[in-house]
Amino acid sequence: MEKKIKVVERHNTKFKHRLFIPAIIEGLKITTKHLFSNVNNINDMDVLEYPEEQPTDISGRYRGLHRLTQRNDGSIACVACFMCATACPSNCIFIQATQREDGVDEKMPQSFAIDTLECIFCGYCVEACPCDAIRMDTGIFSVIGDRREDFMIDKEQLLSHQGAFGNENSIAK
Amino acid sequence: MSLSAIGVTLFSIVLALLLALLMIPVLVWLERRIAGLIQDRKGPNRTNLFGFRLGGVIQSFADVIKLVFKEEYYPAHIQKGQWLFIIAPAILFVSALLGFMVIPFADNLNIGGESFKIQALPVEWGVVWYLAIGSIGVMGVLLGGWISHNKYALLGSQRATSLMLGYELPLGLSVIAMIITYQSIDFNAMVAWQSDTLWGFLPAWGIIVQPLAAMIFIITIFVETNRAPFNVAEGESEIVAGHMTEFSAMKFAMYFMGEYIAMNAASAVVITMFFGGYQLPYLSTSELFTHFNVIVIVFMSILPFLIYFFIRWMHKNNAIRSTLISDGGRAFETKVLTITLILMVLIVEAIGFYLLKQPADSLVVGVSVMLLQIAVFIVKLMIFNIFFIVVRWTLPRFRYDQVQKLGWNYLLPLSLANIFITALVVVGLGV
Repeated sequence: MEKKIKVVERHNTKFKHRLFIPAIIEGLKITTKHLFSNVNNINDMDVLEYPEEQPTDISGRYRGLHRLTQRNDGSIACVACFMCATACPSNCIFIQATQREDGVDEKMPQSFAIDTLECIFCGYCVEACPCDAIRMDTGIFSVIGDRREDFMIDKEQLLSHQGAFGNENSIAK
Repeated sequence: MSLSAIGVTLFSIVLALLLALLMIPVLVWLERRIAGLIQDRKGPNRTNLFGFRLGGVIQSFADVIKLVFKEEYYPAHIQKGQWLFIIAPAILFVSALLGFMVIPFADNLNIGGESFKIQALPVEWGVVWYLAIGSIGVMGVLLGGWISHNKYALLGSQRATSLMLGYELPLGLSVIAMIITYQSIDFNAMVAWQSDTLWGFLPAWGIIVQPLAAMIFIITIFVETNRAPFNVAEGESEIVAGHMTEFSAMKFAMYFMGEYIAMNAASAVVITMFFGGYQLPYLSTSELFTHFNVIVIVFMSILPFLIYFFIRWMHKNNAIRSTLISDGGRAFETKVLTITLILMVLIVEAIGFYLLKQPADSLVVGVSVMLLQIAVFIVKLMIFNIFFIVVRWTLPRFRYDQVQKLGWNYLLPLSLANIFITALVVVGLGV
C-alpha cells in the first residue's frame, strides 16, 4: 500500500530569510514609525482619556452591575425563588424570602444582597430568573468602595439602579 | 595625591553612580512609555507631584516607594540559608553596577600638567573587568533560583545558566577580535583609536571596522542582560517569573533594578567599543581643543533652535484633547517648563560667551570639552537604551532551544572565523 505522506515545503528557506536580519530591520521600521508618529501627535491616538472621557460604546448586551426590576405597579418583581442563587457559580447572591402581604404574589425577598467582590459578572443569574426580576443592564462598569462592606449591595440599592437602555419594568407575566 | 586628583576621582565616581542609579527610574519609565507608544497606547502619564507630571516619569519613583514599604517576606519553605535569599538579588545588582564603573565618560582631563581619567575605576583592563563582573552577575540569578525551592525558579535559573554557557563564548570571542583590532584592553585606548577616520570620510568606529564582531557582540549582550528576544529565564506563560518568582518587595526590586543597570552598562560598553564612546564623529579631542571657539559658536547658535522646537513639541503634546474641559494643570506645567527652559538657554548662552573669551589652554576650556564629551556620551547611551527597548517590543521571544542553537551553531563559528580574518588582516597589513 502506498504511504499517504504529504511533504510540505518549508517556507522562507532562502539565505536572506534564514539570516533574519532584513526581517528584523523591517520590524524595527514598523515599530519606530509608530513610536515617532505617536510621540509627535500624542492626541491623535485612538485611546480613551478614561476618567475624563467615558466609554460610549456600551451596548444593551453589556453585563454591568445588577439591578432588581419592578412590576408595572411599582412593586418588586422578584418572587424569591432562589433560581439565581442556585445558578450562581460564585455563590455571591444571598436571599432571605418572606411572605408577601399585598396580594400581588405569594413570596418576595426580605433581603437580597450581592457580594460584588465575589461576583464574576457571568450573567447566569439573569439567564436563570423566571420573572425577569434581575438584570445586568445598568451600564455601570465600576464599583467603588473604601471598605469591604461597601461592595455588598443590598436590596434597596439594587432596586434603585436604573436600566440604561430603556425597558424599565419586568416583562414577565 | 593632589587635591585635583581627589576632586576628579570623586567627580567620576559620583557621575558613574548618578548615570547608573538615576537612569533606572528613567529607563523603567521609558520602557513603559515606549511600549505604549509602539502599541498605540499612552503608557503611564498621570502620576504627578504638585501637578507636575514630567511625562509620567514620577510613576517610577512612586513604584520605588511602594516597593520599599512592602512587607519583607520570606517563603516558609526556605528553612536554611535565608541570608542567601537576600544575597542573591544583591549579587546581580552589585555586579551590574560594578560593570558600569569602568566606562570612560570623557577623554583624560589635564590639570596642571597631570592627566586624569574620567572613569570611576581608572583601570587599564576595563574590558576584562566588564566580562569578569558580567559573568558573576548570572550567579545572582542561579543562586536566586536555587535557594527559592521552587521548580519554576529553578527552571528559570537553569535556563539562565545554560544560556550563559552558550553565550559567554561568542561574546568573549567577538571581544577578542576587537582587542586584536584595537591592540588594547583599555576602554580609553579603544575610544582614542576610534577618533580617527577611515579613508578620510568614515569615522573609524568599531561597527564600521568590525561589523561582524559588532553584530555578534550586540546579539550576545542582549542575552547577557537577559532581555527580549532572549529573555528565556523568565516567561509569564511558562515559568511565571523564572528566578524572581519567590522574591517580593525590595528583593524583587533589586533584581528588577539590576536588570536595568545591566542594560545600561551593556549599552555603555557597546557604544564605547563600537560607536566611538564619548567621541563626536570627525572631532577628536585635540580637534575639539583647536577648534574650540568655532564649536562653542555653533553650539550656541544651534541650542536655541533645538529648545524652540522642543518647546513647540511640548506645547502640542503636553496638552489634552480640545473636547475635554479640565486639563489637570497641564497648561500650568507647560508654562513653568517653558520659562525654565528659556532661562536655562540664556544661562548656557552666557556661559558660552564667557568661554569664548578664555585662552585655549585654560582649565575652564578643558572642563567644558569634558562636559561636551559627557553630554555626547549620555546622548549615545540614551539612543542605545531606546534601541534596546524598541527591540524588546518588536521581536517575538526565541524558544529556549532556538537560542541555544543560535549561540552554538551560528554565533560561535562566526566569531571564530572573525578572529581568524581579523588576525590575518592585522598581521598581513602590519597595522
